[in-house]
Amino acid sequence: MRAIGQFFKNLMTNKAMLFMVLPGTLWFLLFSYLPMFGTIIAFKEYRFSRDGFWASIVNSKWVGLQNFKFLFSTNDAYIITRNTVLYNFVFIILGLVLSVALAIVLSEIVNKKLAKVYQTGMFLPYFLSWVIVGYFAFSFLSMDKGMLNQILGWFGMEPVQWYSEAKYWPIFLTLISLWKSVGYNSVVYLAAIMGIDKSLYEAAMIDGANKWQQIKAITLPMLKPLMTILTLLAIGKIFYADFGLFYQVPRDSGTLYSVTNVIDTYVYRGLKTTGEIGMSTAAGLYQSVVGFILVMVSNYIVRKYDKENALF
Amino acid sequence: MSKSKKKWLMPLTLLLSASMLLSACGGNKEESAGNGGGTAEKPVELIWYTIGTPQKDVDKVEAEINKYTAEKIGVTVDMKMIDFGDYNQKMQVMAASGEPMDILFTSSWAFDYVQNARKGAFMELDDLIETHGQGIKDAIDPAFLEGSKVDGHNYAIPANKELPAQEAWRFNKNLLDKYNLDISNVKSMESLEPLLKTIKENEPNVVPLAISKDFGPLLPFDYIIEKMPMAVYLDDKDDLKVVNFLEMPETMETLKLMNKFYKAGYISPEAATTTSTQDLMTSGNWFADRAATQPFADNLWSQSYGYPVVSTPAGDANIFNWSVMGSMQAISANSKYPEKAMDFLNLLNTDVYLRNLVDSGIEGVHYKKLSENVMENLPESKNYDMPTFALGNVMLTYLNPEDPENKWEEFKKFNESGKPAPLLGFNFDPSKVSTELAAVNNVKEEFWAPLMTGTVNPEEFLPKANQKLKAAGLDKIIAEAQSQIDAWKASK
Repeated sequence: MRAIGQFFKNLMTNKAMLFMVLPGTLWFLLFSYLPMFGTIIAFKEYRFSRDGFWASIVNSKWVGLQNFKFLFSTNDAYIITRNTVLYNFVFIILGLVLSVALAIVLSEIVNKKLAKVYQTGMFLPYFLSWVIVGYFAFSFLSMDKGMLNQILGWFGMEPVQWYSEAKYWPIFLTLISLWKSVGYNSVVYLAAIMGIDKSLYEAAMIDGANKWQQIKAITLPMLKPLMTILTLLAIGKIFYADFGLFYQVPRDSGTLYSVTNVIDTYVYRGLKTTGEIGMSTAAGLYQSVVGFILVMVSNYIVRKYDKENALF
Repeated sequence: MSKSKKKWLMPLTLLLSASMLLSACGGNKEESAGNGGGTAEKPVELIWYTIGTPQKDVDKVEAEINKYTAEKIGVTVDMKMIDFGDYNQKMQVMAASGEPMDILFTSSWAFDYVQNARKGAFMELDDLIETHGQGIKDAIDPAFLEGSKVDGHNYAIPANKELPAQEAWRFNKNLLDKYNLDISNVKSMESLEPLLKTIKENEPNVVPLAISKDFGPLLPFDYIIEKMPMAVYLDDKDDLKVVNFLEMPETMETLKLMNKFYKAGYISPEAATTTSTQDLMTSGNWFADRAATQPFADNLWSQSYGYPVVSTPAGDANIFNWSVMGSMQAISANSKYPEKAMDFLNLLNTDVYLRNLVDSGIEGVHYKKLSENVMENLPESKNYDMPTFALGNVMLTYLNPEDPENKWEEFKKFNESGKPAPLLGFNFDPSKVSTELAAVNNVKEEFWAPLMTGTVNPEEFLPKANQKLKAAGLDKIIAEAQSQIDAWKASK
């Protein structure tokens, strides 16, 4: 009883704060927690029932782990897992370094108008759909009309069939992914830099610290909590590949699959003709569970070394 | 965040989720509507999902349709159009989540008819056709209803149209005339080569053979699933032996020829990643391609491209499962008014006025009539341009001024000329091998387009593909297909 009384007392004292998180909480409940009951489909052979969705779930046959099998049944299992994790790993590391570096550069530009122009310019790709980015890439990489092959032509080199040469694509995909995401992330870091107390820099300058020393001793340490949090969150998504990047940008070219096939595209290609919802749910559940474990482990590690910066 | 603040988070979350759960369960009971009703004064509304690019004037035409159908059978329809590219995925989600709908388009190539019938998306129609669909039985070729049975039952009403599938080589007539080329002897791919050569040498800006990544050379097989390696030979009517057609010598020969064409520059270097040749058709910068034909198809093509197109057959007219199931209307398993839906489908397939209203819009607004059964589009028709084949009995539609008077007779002749393919009437049930199918599908996607468009050397890549297909479990699928086919053969 006391606990409940305490609970309502807390509720009252924090009502303003609680009211502020209410929309977010509702959103998560509706779109993240409520659909979790649907994971049950991963263990069923989903068949339609005329009485609606719930009846369909209840009436479908249990099949145990059968739906998960297709993810692990071939050698492709290794390739898609390797591609997904490695690409995401590279994206996280390079994305972090570049975003922070850009944010610092932007914050140091004296002409604030110009800084805004750069910032907006880098922000723009984030809003482009992957289909459009795919066509941008195509205008560079097209065999007969692409810009890259024309440049090669000027130097007297043979044109390259970019869409069937797998070896170049890890670089292309990394570049394109960074081009699209770095602008957005750097704005997040820029906002954090703006929030750093200016008196710290003044004190440092009085002590004779140069720009580089200021960045190293003030900006980076102040950004560390944000960097840790964003990286931890990104690690949780390491098993999710960006479908548009790996499907639209290489134009679904079969000869590139060894370096472009990731878990999400594999699931899409495997199930687009049969449309087995049970199997796609199984794939989603598998990604989430692995992501969950990874977040827990990395958070545990962070907490071990630096309790302040851990997520929880 | 401090410790004390964390404590109340947990109970709050639990409380909120519990209340969500309760409300979700409570709101689920719907009123089950009675099935009577549906009079001219109080018509029932049917929700009808059709395929095609959404048109501006659908609401206008719908109002006109409803005036007629309410009077006639006590039904109004709410037409919902979903574009070709989205139809499959959107319908899969909507059917799975139990979205209310009464009539929906299904086919062998969009929202797969056989698989969704087996999954329980459609209502079984055997009795309904007898009681409410007698007109349909009289109006359409019986081969359609017979050929679209799944495990012995009908789940959809096929459109009365061309029954067999025949492929043809199409040519841009302007270029044929310019170089005085003769197509009367063209049939096989080899016979096409000299023509392609002429064009390649004289017209550097023209793509001699326009193909996209979906292209597949004509091979003598009936496929168990379209664009999958399992197949039987077209002339193997007795044994029905399932093979991996990629391992067969004909395939290797044909793909070598494709590769030769590709190296000679007859095919666009981007063919393996090109999803459509539509822009070539629009610009007219192509010489030849291959397409499914039907009687007087040249007229249709020339009219839609705005320049003359001629064609010559590339293969025989065969009746396949997928050609029979090319366009159908099903009644959703969750429909509240199945009888009324069947009444509507019956009228759509038998009533000339309704069929043309749905197809061409309102007379005097979207089209004008030139005679009893000939019509001409008015400028407004751009706001109501529907895919004729997808909306029921095609043979009720008015002719265009260019069409010959005997168009539908020719269609009937064409239908009679078709040879049944060996697997006509057999529908593979993939549920026992869905794991292997998913894996095989991935291998297929990897190799299909590069091989079929001639982009890669088949002598190197075909063995690689076959090896990977084997590793993915193709043999198990073939064995399963063979046992189902044997059982089907025995039951015939």
